[in-house]
Amino acid sequence: MNVRDVALVGGTTTKFGVRPSTWAELAQEVGARLFREMPELRAEDVDSLFLGAAEPERFAFQSHVAPLAAEQMGLRPHRIIQRTELACASGQSAIRSAYAAIAAGLSDVAVAVGVEKMNLPSMAEANTSMACVMDRAWDGPHGATAPPFFAMVAQRHQLEYGTTEDQFAAVSEKNHRFANSNPEAQFHEKTFSREKLLRLPIVAPPLRLGDCSSMTDGAAAVVLVAADRAKKYTDTPAWIRGTGQYSDFHNLAHAGSLTEWTGLKHAAREAFGRAGVGPEAIDFAEVHDCFTVSEIIEYEMFGWCPPGQGGAFVADGQADIGGKVVVNPRGGLLGCGHPLGATGIAQAVEVYRQFARKAPPARTVPDPEWALVHNLSGSANVHSVMIYQGGSAA
Amino acid sequence: MSSEPRPRRPGPILAAPVPPPPEAPLPPVRTRERRPFLLDFFPLESSDQTRLSRFFDRLKEGRVSTTRCPKDGLLHWPPRTACPQCHSEELEWVDLPEVGHVYAFSAVLGGAPLGMEDEVPFAVGLVDLDGAPLRLFGRIEGRPWTELQIGSAVRLESFDIGDGRYFYRFRATDP
Ligand SMILES: [Zn+2]
Repeated sequence: MNVRDVALVGGTTTKFGVRPSTWAELAQEVGARLFREMPELRAEDVDSLFLGAAEPERFAFQSHVAPLAAEQMGLRPHRIIQRTELACASGQSAIRSAYAAIAAGLSDVAVAVGVEKMNLPSMAEANTSMACVMDRAWDGPHGATAPPFFAMVAQRHQLEYGTTEDQFAAVSEKNHRFANSNPEAQFHEKTFSREKLLRLPIVAPPLRLGDCSSMTDGAAAVVLVAADRAKKYTDTPAWIRGTGQYSDFHNLAHAGSLTEWTGLKHAAREAFGRAGVGPEAIDFAEVHDCFTVSEIIEYEMFGWCPPGQGGAFVADGQADIGGKVVVNPRGGLLGCGHPLGATGIAQAVEVYRQFARKAPPARTVPDPEWALVHNLSGSANVHSVMIYQGGSAA
Repeated sequence: MSSEPRPRRPGPILAAPVPPPPEAPLPPVRTRERRPFLLDFFPLESSDQTRLSRFFDRLKEGRVSTTRCPKDGLLHWPPRTACPQCHSEELEWVDLPEVGHVYAFSAVLGGAPLGMEDEVPFAVGLVDLDGAPLRLFGRIEGRPWTELQIGSAVRLESFDIGDGRYFYRFRATDP
């Protein structure tokens, strides 16, 4: 069977943050923005909708969310309508599913949208929902949430490689600085020097507040089309060239080494193999910096630096503009916030904007051709990778 | 895609299996939920809710146990009803070692889930059990997190959660 080429031809996000909006209102808002910013997109052209949403049952007390999102956005999908749930990678899962459907000829024009509402009046209730991402019955009763798990990852990375708090802060400083040029970022107006970051309170030792992404409300949407339709929507599409995924374990007892993420290596090998390029070809990457240590390990697992050298890599500016690979020019999860289902979509929006030369100068990647998007989910037990190539419409 | 298979944990090293269960099913245990199930982390432990109720029955006797597959020797965590390696459903129960050492730890200083807000700060960690190829995650009681170290000795224990149910955790012991 022939696999069709698939282009990402546009997208947008709402403002991320603590929003005075319900889940459904965020879906309406992103729909309104999408059609406003893509006047050539007609609702009746959209044959399929893929919704990334991690925990609407917990955070919004709502199931059957894909048709709800379609109605909010003014869409009547007539080929495929479905929700994808993969915790923190729910958004990328929606894009992957749309990609698969278009490549297989089951869809021609699909919207992948991510919506998450996380800030509730009771933060303890919100934290309870976050804890359901882990193995709820066995790890949950101990108080397992993401911060203490990734804190243990950071502790082991410090022990095994001598990584310092200052190197963790270098990740956070870089991503917050990029977020200063992203008006949709949750922390757009806030500046964080390394010194300031190192004075923030400890959340889960050794991680401080600035090492952790936040609870965020937001939505994002992208449009994916078959190659022969790309020209109708844009002259600067982002072509999906490779994708890979790997599910390694779930219960924390099976995490193995906390500092070597073999699942990420497997997913990356698959994605690079399909794209026909290696890590050295990547000009910029949107990777999953749910915690500062995550981004440091990701440099190592993707092969941009040797194992254990991620801290030095970022402190040396190698993940910054002018470095070996620009990592998280959008501002990352640390700067933008992390509305679970919307994050993976917003990362793809950044890929489109960089290729279309629509990013503000302070975060513009010079002449990009190849981009990579990565999400981990849960306790880094699942990894999802996509590789995009810029270029003209067919 | 070419991926080497995930290394399987080696076989048994533990005490002899406990005797098989009595023929008659255990009477269902009435539990009183202190909060609605969807806001309560502790599992439903009774035999009318789970086929692993024996795990929780043993907790009441002060024993933390798990399942092992007699066919291929795989030791499971958490306890299971079917072996993930050979898919046999004929599993046996074994007690876990009581002593372990901390592989990694952290602490929850804020942002705790419902029902745990009053317990903050509390330590959690991954613990290598002595003599078993298992690294369990759990709460570490008995010492403030500031006094824990990688390598600290801990004891695996069961405890009464206060509403008729039992669970397990670690307790820091002298080095
Ligand atoms: Zn077996």
